[in-house]
Amino acid sequence: MIIEVKDLVKHYGEVKAVDGVAFQVEEGEIFGLLGPNGAGKTTLMEILCGLRRFDRGKITIHGFDLTKDLLKVRACIGFCPQETLLYDLLNVKENLAFSASLYGLSSKKFKERVEFASKVFGISEFLNRRVEKLSGGMKRRANLAASIIHDPPIVILDEPTVGFDPNVKREFWELIKNLKKFGKTVLLSTHDMYEADEICDRVAIMNKGKVAALDKPHTLKKSIGGEPFISLRAKDSQAKKALTCLKEYNCILRDSEIQILTKNPWEFMTKISEELASKGVLIEKIEIIEPTLEDVFLKLTGRKLLEETQ
Amino acid sequence: MNSIIGIAVKDVKTFFRERGTVFWTIAFPIMILLLFTAIFGRDIPFNATIGIINNDGETLSENAISRLNETGFLTLKTFTDTNKALEELNATTIRAVLTIPENFSQNLIVYGHADISLVVDGTNPDVYQLIDNGIRTFFAEFYKQLNPSYSDPINVKTEVLVVGEKIGYKENIVPGMLTYPLLFSSMVASTGAIVFEREKGTLKKIRAAPIPAINMLLGKTLAALFQTAISIIIMSVLAAVLLGPKLNWNIPLLLPIFFLGSINGIALGLIISCIGRAPQEASNAATTIGIVLQFFTGMYFPIEYLPTYMQQIGQVIPMTYAAQSIRNVMIRNATINDLAFPLATLAVSAVILYGVGVLLYRKWVEK
Repeated sequence: MIIEVKDLVKHYGEVKAVDGVAFQVEEGEIFGLLGPNGAGKTTLMEILCGLRRFDRGKITIHGFDLTKDLLKVRACIGFCPQETLLYDLLNVKENLAFSASLYGLSSKKFKERVEFASKVFGISEFLNRRVEKLSGGMKRRANLAASIIHDPPIVILDEPTVGFDPNVKREFWELIKNLKKFGKTVLLSTHDMYEADEICDRVAIMNKGKVAALDKPHTLKKSIGGEPFISLRAKDSQAKKALTCLKEYNCILRDSEIQILTKNPWEFMTKISEELASKGVLIEKIEIIEPTLEDVFLKLTGRKLLEETQ
Repeated sequence: MNSIIGIAVKDVKTFFRERGTVFWTIAFPIMILLLFTAIFGRDIPFNATIGIINNDGETLSENAISRLNETGFLTLKTFTDTNKALEELNATTIRAVLTIPENFSQNLIVYGHADISLVVDGTNPDVYQLIDNGIRTFFAEFYKQLNPSYSDPINVKTEVLVVGEKIGYKENIVPGMLTYPLLFSSMVASTGAIVFEREKGTLKKIRAAPIPAINMLLGKTLAALFQTAISIIIMSVLAAVLLGPKLNWNIPLLLPIFFLGSINGIALGLIISCIGRAPQEASNAATTIGIVLQFFTGMYFPIEYLPTYMQQIGQVIPMTYAAQSIRNVMIRNATINDLAFPLATLAVSAVILYGVGVLLYRKWVEK
């Protein structure tokens, strides 16, 4: 275990921000904390980085007790919060040099790490540009590069892609997966269920300061008993005609959409499309719906993750 | 028009919600008013300590000393040994030595006139002239009350004591000006340091690094020291070129004073920066503290203008030692031995201030 959290409690006055949280993170995995705003994710991450004190519990990181060996724990963590923590009037390289100085990097090691960061995060073209002149995406890449300039074994990312457009988000997911390839353990928080599903090896679903469930995304989805199904919408109010054509399948009509329940929806989707087309039913939309982590959250808490976040 | 009012209303509301800013905004005029009232709201807005040697020992001279003491204009310190009194004058613990010679009373009664001797510290023309004029006026009035038909029978022979050349106003003001960067430039440079990082969010990055709180404060100190040094250099060069004062520019002796004085100012700024939540709050606090401190340190006007209790407060403010040491080196050709105590005081106070800074950093910033 590279991170071990036991019975962690943190109060803000009367409010319990973190309420008896316990989990373990394996070396080399991408571990996600998924939950809406106010679930206690940021507080938990800041506690792990030694930025906040906690009221009860025990945290061991990389073999060090957080309370006793705070500086040693900090040395083996690269923390990248939601905000871009770069100095606008310095260029990217100067910002990296500042970060390196905080971790006591030698100039030789710094050069190596800048080369590494340039390659992995694609920052070489704007290394000498002032941060104030960078685009949002460039700043976030430089920010991530700065947070791991000291080559930490653990990288903690707080909502790393919040506010990104889908393309940049995907690009960033690749960067995070790359960290894993380079042997880093990544702990990230997100309220984006797709992000958690896409990049995390294991996910802890947080709700009101507690871990509501913890497992691999696939296992979590499976645990709620949902199976994938085909969802279909016919054009020009042809839903009834489509239903007639599909009578050999187990179909349900719900809000003008037909849900077709079958064991292997991937196999049948093309076949169904062709059958309907041959009988003159025009399809507006057809897709396979799988249970998501959103469904898991809904099942566990009775509320929707997206609504909570908004 | 709506937008103008909207912006103003927003700013006023924000102002009232930053409690620290409100506090210092209210504290500033109150403290300045209290200070001016305490200093200039008195009948005699001046009090200097002088040494007195009474070699006459008669009732008349004792009576004169007693009456002089009652004026409130001077605090008298009695000496029997002239050399001892002059030593203290040289060390600036007293500003003048008034000697009433033997047979003073007899000469006055028998011959109708007598001399007294006054040796004044000439390093501050304001103080020197106030003491000289004050003593002359006192003895003229004193004798008039005894014998109204005589005018000015007591002759005050004044001797100005200055180690080095006799100085004028520009020689007096330049050392005070050079104290300015120690108090203001250093404090301004460091006051915003942590507040800025907190406002920008970058403090999180620094706090997440494996460095102790003191490293953060010392790093900020070096940067502020650099900025303060620029102010000192520019001010020294311009003062030398534009005013051309006849002063002792003993750089090896001035450097440790500038260094330790700046460190004290920076540490004070860092303390404010640890406590301040908003940049405006920190800025208001630094301005108020800086302006209040300059009254106590004797940077611009002599501390003799302060009431006695305020002079005593001034003696426990480290920056006073820096201000006096600069003055002593540049005007009085002070040696390293003369500076040992003030430099040690500045060093000790710097250590204490940094200790407080670390505690506050942990309490306010790392909480």
